[in-house]
Amino acid sequence: MKTLFIDCSPKKKLSASGFLVDMTSLFVLGSKKKMKLRTRAEHEEILKELEDTDTVVFTMPLYVDGVPSHIIPFLKTMEAWCKEHKPDLKVYVIANNGFIEGRQNEPLMQNMENFCIRSGIKWCGGLGIGGGVMMNVMRIMIVVVFAIAVLNLVITGMNTGNFLDKNIVIGFLKDLAEVLFFGCGIITFDIWLAACINRKKEYGKHYTRIMLPSFIFILGADFFFIVLSILKGGVFRGWLSKKKPTLP
Amino acid sequence: MKIIIHDLDESYNEKLKAVCDRVVCADGKYAPCQGCFNCWTKHPATCSMSDSLHEMCRIVGQADDLVIITDNTYGGYSSNVKNLLDRSIGASTPFSTYRGWQMHHTLRYGRKGNFKVIVYGDIADNEKKTWELMIERNRLNHGYTSTELRFTDSIDKLEVSEI
Repeated sequence: MKTLFIDCSPKKKLSASGFLVDMTSLFVLGSKKKMKLRTRAEHEEILKELEDTDTVVFTMPLYVDGVPSHIIPFLKTMEAWCKEHKPDLKVYVIANNGFIEGRQNEPLMQNMENFCIRSGIKWCGGLGIGGGVMMNVMRIMIVVVFAIAVLNLVITGMNTGNFLDKNIVIGFLKDLAEVLFFGCGIITFDIWLAACINRKKEYGKHYTRIMLPSFIFILGADFFFIVLSILKGGVFRGWLSKKKPTLP
Repeated sequence: MKIIIHDLDESYNEKLKAVCDRVVCADGKYAPCQGCFNCWTKHPATCSMSDSLHEMCRIVGQADDLVIITDNTYGGYSSNVKNLLDRSIGASTPFSTYRGWQMHHTLRYGRKGNFKVIVYGDIADNEKKTWELMIERNRLNHGYTSTELRFTDSIDKLEVSEI
């Protein structure tokens, strides 16, 4: 028997949900499999995988206070499959949202709990994460910063003969420490959830966030979207205007 | 402006038009949101995908009063209605603010009136509780001032005047 991780992000790569699958699976023992759920074409394959699965971990983004719409047809199909096959399944959910408050994932958690009740499978709880976009940006940036630091070390080493320049190493470790500090709540709650999966125990519902005061987070999020909108050109195309429908 | 979004048969459109300014049938003939944020950052208030929801955020944004008629799905919207709502986030802007002591996006079209949801189908008590939370969260997110929530086992039991 195994743990099946279902990454429910509609994005093909570099999604926060995909990262949460990778991070959680690091701490889960035993046989495990990761699958993506983006289209209806994947439904059959996932259902087949459920036959020898005893634990399912859904990871997903919060969309407009609930589960993303492309997940709902799969949940309906899985409900019918569960009613027919009566599997002994345990379900955990990891949800993330762009707002800072992890608690904003509560309606999604209730949707998933209601799904388990209707399907006759065991709801074991979930983790709701606030600041999911920032978490995802941080984990990508730290890899980029690491690559730059290594490149710097090599160039400095070739010039000076010292391949372990103290300033470059300390600079990177400081960046890493910042990322770990902002993400310490997420990492701690995620390890706790993985421990519950390993012991086949109920996790309950827990909410955590990026460790930043919300007013600073909001300023950061605004800055992020200003830069992104300048780069993509949205600021020059009626960025905040009250556009009317062009079709009747 | 009063807008009704429903996931019923298209034959209900004429009937519902009598009590609102615009009827939107969530028929599911469109793709799900890809989470790209281009409706904020690249071509504001327009979705990247060129199907019937291409400008849906502008229609939803213009509603002073919004009525949603939806099948119950685990205490949430049917996939067709949810898809439409997911593709309408361009009705807000990428900027954030506080509403109800929590972070939300600022509203492109300003504050609104009443938000009413009519849920039909088989609805368990736990799902009714989720619905109460869901529409309060939606109210805050979309900037409505009041909400109404109604459950019915069959939509045909409702008079059009009750919508």
